[in-house]
Amino acid sequence: MLDALAAIESSSFATWVRESPSLFAYTFILSLHAMGLATVGGLSSAVALRLLGIARAIPLAPLRELFPLMYAGFWINAFSGLALLAASATTMLFNPMFYFKMGFVLAAVLIMRVIKSRVFGDSELVGSGVAPPFSRPLAVASLSCWAGAIVAGRMTAYPGLLESYLGF
Amino acid sequence: METLAEFLASDTLAAFVSDYSWVWPLGEILHFVGMTLLIGAIGLLDVRILGVAKGVPIATVNKLIPIGIAGFAMNVTSGLVFVMGNPIGGPMDYLENLAFLLKMLLIFLAGINLLAFHVAGIARAADAVPAGGDAPTGAKVVAAASLLLWAGVIFFGRMIMYNDTLLYALGL
Repeated sequence: MLDALAAIESSSFATWVRESPSLFAYTFILSLHAMGLATVGGLSSAVALRLLGIARAIPLAPLRELFPLMYAGFWINAFSGLALLAASATTMLFNPMFYFKMGFVLAAVLIMRVIKSRVFGDSELVGSGVAPPFSRPLAVASLSCWAGAIVAGRMTAYPGLLESYLGF
Repeated sequence: METLAEFLASDTLAAFVSDYSWVWPLGEILHFVGMTLLIGAIGLLDVRILGVAKGVPIATVNKLIPIGIAGFAMNVTSGLVFVMGNPIGGPMDYLENLAFLLKMLLIFLAGINLLAFHVAGIARAADAVPAGGDAPTGAKVVAAASLLLWAGVIFFGRMIMYNDTLLYALGL
């Protein structure tokens, strides 16, 4: 297993990502990962806040058109994330925070799908302009999962910090 | 620059940062959350002006602007902790960092862009656009510039840690 990860990490692509002095290698991929986060997390949060009653003047139904942009942000991060993961496969896959992050991202995307189909898929419901009561827990869960993904994602850069505070 | 660095340096903050190992990561978390809120609100207004979700009257999106301002305030606060409380190298580390200076320049330009939006009457024209309406060209230019500038802010923000790569790429 470790051999396979080491092989990925020393592949020419992973080595290029990690070590090339080109601006388009590590640094560009890293900034794409932040831009993708801002897109998918930002637009999801804006929709969630609207479902919670903030900026009620914004009509609900047209917000459905934001989902392709959210997915664009998600896929930018899936691919940039895979490239960054390849570059540090042997360390990142042994970092517990990475799995917390993946869990939060998976949950956030599933919630996004449910909001899209259950809330925005019902044109009569969404056309009334009033967010249905069942959308509120979904919105809270969406905001929490994106926040959790950011916290866990940042913490991957500080292995051992949480452990040192929790005493294990 | 050195005078500015001396003015910004805070021994109290620097001591706080080095005494508690959670301060810096917490600052970074807030910086990313703030970025997400800022782009979620301002980016949504920009893409609406550019023609996405046209069923939304542009003026209604203004109600989300306080969320974007809150995100920006989070980032100014956490950013000041990084610069003023930098435990090694102090503020000078940042003021000599090309990626940081370019990031600050782009934030300044985003501010000028916002000022132009409001002072030139473009915002008023955009706010008058009803559901289904197309924004005036001037508003679209400002919106596209805003998206590009904030993408640049994110790019150079992430480059701060890799300033050497930037200098090498520019042949400096």
